[in-house]
Amino acid sequence: MTRSRGVILMVLAAIVAVDAIDGMSAQAAPFGAPHPADAMSASGVTGWIFAQQAAFYRSLSGFIRASKEDGAAMWGLFGISFLYGVFHAVGPGHGKAVISSYLVANEETWRRGVVLSFASAGIQSIVAIIVVAIAAILLGATAKAIGLTIHLVEIVSYGLIVLIGLRLLYFKGRGFLIAGRELTWSAQAPVLALASAHRAKTFQLPAPRFSEMTMRGGQCMVDGCAGHVHGFYCHNDHHESAWGHAHGPEPAELAGTGGWRRGLSAVVAVGLRPCSGAIIVLIFALAQDLFWTGVGATLIMGLGTAVTVAAIATLAIGARQIASRVAKARAGFVVLMMRAIEVVAATLIVAFGALLLAGYMASEQLWMFTG
Amino acid sequence: MMKHACPGACAVLLLFLSLDRAEAHPHVWVTFHSDVLYAVDGSMTGVRHAWTFDDMFSAYALQGTPHAKNGQYTREELASLAQVNIESLKEYGYFTFARADGKKLKFSDPVDYWLEYKNATLTLHFTLPLEAAATAKAMKIEVYDPTIFVDFEFAKDMPVSLSGAPQCLLTYELPHQPTPAEQLRLSQLDSEPLDAFGTYGETFANKILVKCP
Repeated sequence: MTRSRGVILMVLAAIVAVDAIDGMSAQAAPFGAPHPADAMSASGVTGWIFAQQAAFYRSLSGFIRASKEDGAAMWGLFGISFLYGVFHAVGPGHGKAVISSYLVANEETWRRGVVLSFASAGIQSIVAIIVVAIAAILLGATAKAIGLTIHLVEIVSYGLIVLIGLRLLYFKGRGFLIAGRELTWSAQAPVLALASAHRAKTFQLPAPRFSEMTMRGGQCMVDGCAGHVHGFYCHNDHHESAWGHAHGPEPAELAGTGGWRRGLSAVVAVGLRPCSGAIIVLIFALAQDLFWTGVGATLIMGLGTAVTVAAIATLAIGARQIASRVAKARAGFVVLMMRAIEVVAATLIVAFGALLLAGYMASEQLWMFTG
Repeated sequence: MMKHACPGACAVLLLFLSLDRAEAHPHVWVTFHSDVLYAVDGSMTGVRHAWTFDDMFSAYALQGTPHAKNGQYTREELASLAQVNIESLKEYGYFTFARADGKKLKFSDPVDYWLEYKNATLTLHFTLPLEAAATAKAMKIEVYDPTIFVDFEFAKDMPVSLSGAPQCLLTYELPHQPTPAEQLRLSQLDSEPLDAFGTYGETFANKILVKCP
């Protein structure tokens, strides 16, 4: 009880803190009015981020121009690129939501969260560089053709996100149903050992885990009576552990068979879509005969993006772990709740993918002026 | 039981709601001048725009455009790009929204459009005619991108002008809730230019107002 109260307090404190920053930034703005766009679209904090990244982006062109004459200006460019990446990633289109939902649904560790965030940002930068290198340098394509290419890549990326979400939803949905059945089963057929394990919880710490194990085993045993069903559940259980339950960051699990492959699909789906800003910066650099400077700036921008995405992913995983800790302290319905969170996270991935595909979110229409 | 698991789940949801709203951010900056066109009979016929893109987007848009002289583009060399620009902008209603005494007005397809390359930036010139000429005591024209991908900003030297309606009063508004002091300044627009608001570089909805007797 005290723990869940602590969690509630933490969440409340976070909200209060955000509100406080909100108020401060609104007051600090000139003329007492925030940035015009903020008032319409964003609260103080996001508005401030919005203004920062806009300022960084606009200064990029000056730094690129300067590095033509002065090699030292390149370091300034790289610094600004990094900061721009950090602030820019807070906006849509960098897969934060998808990556975070994926990590939550898959019960990933924060280490894997960080690695996956960096990998997706890295792929994003590299895709931008490849698109510009092939389309602009090799083929001399027009902005219209490049815009169209990116549009197609985007559609593929969003489509993959929907597929990954659906796959997760399928497995996690089954997990949720099983947890539901376990609960019904334990309520309908009270086993003495389970009941005593429940009571023992107050004295013994590992008890809840034990009770969970008992339930799982028991369920398989009971369902085992109906041959076909047994196969279904145990198969699913096996599947779940192959997909999700990464409890410890053992190196083998981090990078071993199925380790990277597991996250690879999500990373590729998210990273496939290049950032419009990177494309514009690269082509601008190319027009100044400074393509390699542009490549450097793009990679560093990706590094900045990765930092933000990793931070948000870590927050999401942290929130999930708090919920999981609360769940472990009390078996029963809360296990069902954890499965429910995973289902919600998987549903979110499908929703994000579908919305992106439909064009309702992340309107970085590079083809706005150029077809 | 539910409420015990909520904090974690709620924190996750809160995170998504707060951080991944459909908030775009500008990648294109446009500094614009708009000329509101009036006919002799006192009705508004359209808007003539001149939109200057930022240097980075200009370089992007020019990518792959064949040109004879390095660093120079003639109006003819840019003709096909201008065509593409105009066609692409149709989907977004040319980011121009007009109301006559509160009633929405419709624009037809742009005429007289061309691109100009100067100081490493592109300027798109085009005239947006109204489907039907409109007469109103208060005409409001807004120029903005609701998705904020494009950031529109009034040109500092000459933001707006009025053609053919000497009896009407032309004003413009920057997109924010003006404080009493700012309202006072807005009322003194004629005697004092608005350059003090130059810091409001990145703007959202830019309002052009024409009041006729």
